[in-house]
Amino acid sequence: MSLRRVMVALVLTLAAVVAEAPAARAQQQAGTLVVQVTAEPPGLDMTASPATAIQTTIHYNVQENLVKLDKHGKLVPWLAERWYTTDNLNYTFFLKKGVRFHNGRETRAEDVKFVLERAMNPETKHPHRARYLGITSIIVKDDYTVTLTLKAIDSNFLLTMSRPGSVIYPREAVDSLKTAPVGTGPFVVSEWVRGDRLVLARNKDYHVKGLPHLDRIVYRFIPDPNSALAALRAGDIDVSPFGIGPENAPDLKKDPRFQVITGDTTNDVILAMNNAKAPFSDKRVRLAVTHAINKEEVLKGAMFGYGKILGSNVDPLNPYFVDMSKEKPYDPARAKKLLAEAGFPNGFDAVLKVAPQYYYTVRTGEVVVGQLAKVGIRVKIEQIEWGQWLGRVYCLPPCTTPEYDLTIIGHGEPWDINNYANPKYYFRWDNAEFQKLFKASEATLEDKKRQELYAKMQKTLADEAPVVWLYMHPRLVAAKKGVTGLWRDLPAMALDLSEVTWQK
Amino acid sequence: MRRFIVRRVAALAATLLFVSVLVFVVVRILPGDPALIILGTEASPEAAARLREAMGLDRPVPVQYLEWIGRALAGDLGRSIQYDVPVGALILSRLPVTLPLTCMAGGLMILAAIPLGVFAATKQRRWGDYLAMTLSQVGVAVPGFWAGLLLVLLFSVRLGWFQSGGFDGWSQGALPALKSLLLPAVALGLFQFAVLARTTRSAVLEVLREEYVKTARAKGVAERAVLFRHTLRNAMIPVLTVAGVQLGQLMAGSIILESVFYLPGLGRLALGAITARDLPVVQGVVLFVASVIVTINVAVDILYGLLDPRIRYE
Repeated sequence: MSLRRVMVALVLTLAAVVAEAPAARAQQQAGTLVVQVTAEPPGLDMTASPATAIQTTIHYNVQENLVKLDKHGKLVPWLAERWYTTDNLNYTFFLKKGVRFHNGRETRAEDVKFVLERAMNPETKHPHRARYLGITSIIVKDDYTVTLTLKAIDSNFLLTMSRPGSVIYPREAVDSLKTAPVGTGPFVVSEWVRGDRLVLARNKDYHVKGLPHLDRIVYRFIPDPNSALAALRAGDIDVSPFGIGPENAPDLKKDPRFQVITGDTTNDVILAMNNAKAPFSDKRVRLAVTHAINKEEVLKGAMFGYGKILGSNVDPLNPYFVDMSKEKPYDPARAKKLLAEAGFPNGFDAVLKVAPQYYYTVRTGEVVVGQLAKVGIRVKIEQIEWGQWLGRVYCLPPCTTPEYDLTIIGHGEPWDINNYANPKYYFRWDNAEFQKLFKASEATLEDKKRQELYAKMQKTLADEAPVVWLYMHPRLVAAKKGVTGLWRDLPAMALDLSEVTWQK
Repeated sequence: MRRFIVRRVAALAATLLFVSVLVFVVVRILPGDPALIILGTEASPEAAARLREAMGLDRPVPVQYLEWIGRALAGDLGRSIQYDVPVGALILSRLPVTLPLTCMAGGLMILAAIPLGVFAATKQRRWGDYLAMTLSQVGVAVPGFWAGLLLVLLFSVRLGWFQSGGFDGWSQGALPALKSLLLPAVALGLFQFAVLARTTRSAVLEVLREEYVKTARAKGVAERAVLFRHTLRNAMIPVLTVAGVQLGQLMAGSIILESVFYLPGLGRLALGAITARDLPVVQGVVLFVASVIVTINVAVDILYGLLDPRIRYE
């Protein structure tokens, strides 16, 4: 074949391929929503892995709980239509009647017993087994009534029942949890093409009348934020619930084809200090670091101003949240004075370890380092891989002593103030007063008293400064215009799509 | 010729053995405990120990290696920890993306680079040459992932001719499948195209300076015949060497472009497996890709022998 012929053939092939183009783009269907998620779930079993990628796709969409954490962060009855307790030790749940699993069988009290016993069984390797060990007995009264008895009062018990690891699934489908989980949710797992997409289809038999609105959800796994943005602009995805960086929000807002939803999350981004290590074992040094940081500037520099400034650990979606952002204000002169008092008139050197897997930690670190330099704390940024971060900074076993001075990370779990009551946690902050307060809060159920205790805990944290609370990571959703019903805030890791629809 | 082939194949086996040891050791000295990464932030020491035992990580590395290589030779690459399916099946399921992608990129690269290189050589130090070499200079300078994003911005976002990524599979027919691989293939092949075009140009220029070309011209042979009959075949040896190496590099380069275009290929499989410390998958994919690259190189060596009889006797 001569060169010329080869060239002609090549051009013709390209032309044929291009000419075929428009068909694919007209695929958008009224009942289908294409959602970008950054990571592919490593299996679909929430009772085997705490991976957030599973929770975002499966929790509340495919599998549900007795109790649900709703879009306002409130616990509401769900598969249990009500419950009662007189002593906060015995909880009796009354199941909603006529709820069917995706396999057609009705949900019974026996299933609740099976699921919880399985979670407690060490053989099943439930990632949060410890949360269920306070349950001493599970008694099935009839098909729709089950009573759980606790060893001790646990104010977080109902929250535990709403968590991803407490979903109700049928005993007979336990072997398919990893690949095709069965539940009671508004959607059914319909197809999982490894590496490419996960497809959910409408559950026609859903127990909430009128829901869901969508016929099909297609999750596409797009790890690169630039690719996700291009896919949105090209019309290949309809919603990017997490993947659009704050730097892209202003442009998208200007574009009439898209909407940007900004909301709150439970993700507190902190500058953690190793309290077991000098000089951070000195409260004056920790306070100096706190006063040296201009959080306003951090938020602007790292997050383009999206998010909220924090002053203590409880997140703004928590009902006990107290705004502490003004508590320890930016005051470099004070920071210098505190450093001098602590014996560091000329500052000191430290290393900040961040894991670039979470881009915001690096960006935030760059701003923070500049600010600390101004009061004489000379910080070197060291980027480490996530696995190393977990092993050395976060100090998972077999690690016994955390190896770091400073680190930045977002803590996404709701209700995570208990971390500060744990002297073995990677902050290594051991404060008897706080531990006492937390213990009291766990055993207190009366709302008003609990609220007071939470306010006290937040104040103690701000005063003792075991870490610096920088900001709440914003929720930034980019979606095509016409998509409605997306949750504004994110009180849990679940991304409930049951109420989402296309506006006519 | 037979001895030549036997020697090459023996070298291939030795290389693969070396690669297998290297992969196995490197994967094991990577910082970050696989059990911890898999279990996440809430791992208990008992759960981590149990998982290490299940993954066989508690035994000495040489023992682990021998077991793995023994099974690999029998065709069993183990099971993926993440997906809970056999690694071999996982690799096979990703080939319908990566193989056509690499072949397309390679095809486009060869079909565009060789004519361009020959063209530039015949127009040496004239406008055509400068234009062609500027083009290839740009190709060398632009990283593939960035070229990919630019292509997406132009052809999917602005013009709407192509989808921005993803792969719908071959079930819809060959044309849509090839279409979804075209932009990634162009982005993937761009750099290698530029390198190959420059190699071709200098190879052709070199041969054009040979005595026998002068003789042919002096005999009054038409320029076209001089070029195609006398020059090209001899210029092809260095070009073939480079192209062979490049085919392997294309396969390796697909790791980045499959992420940009979110294609479910081998590259994404490898990348995901590395982040999740899915060791059997990492080992399996690397061994597979290494085998392909080494095999291509051996094939190229044998091709030389056919093109240039002198090489066989060295």
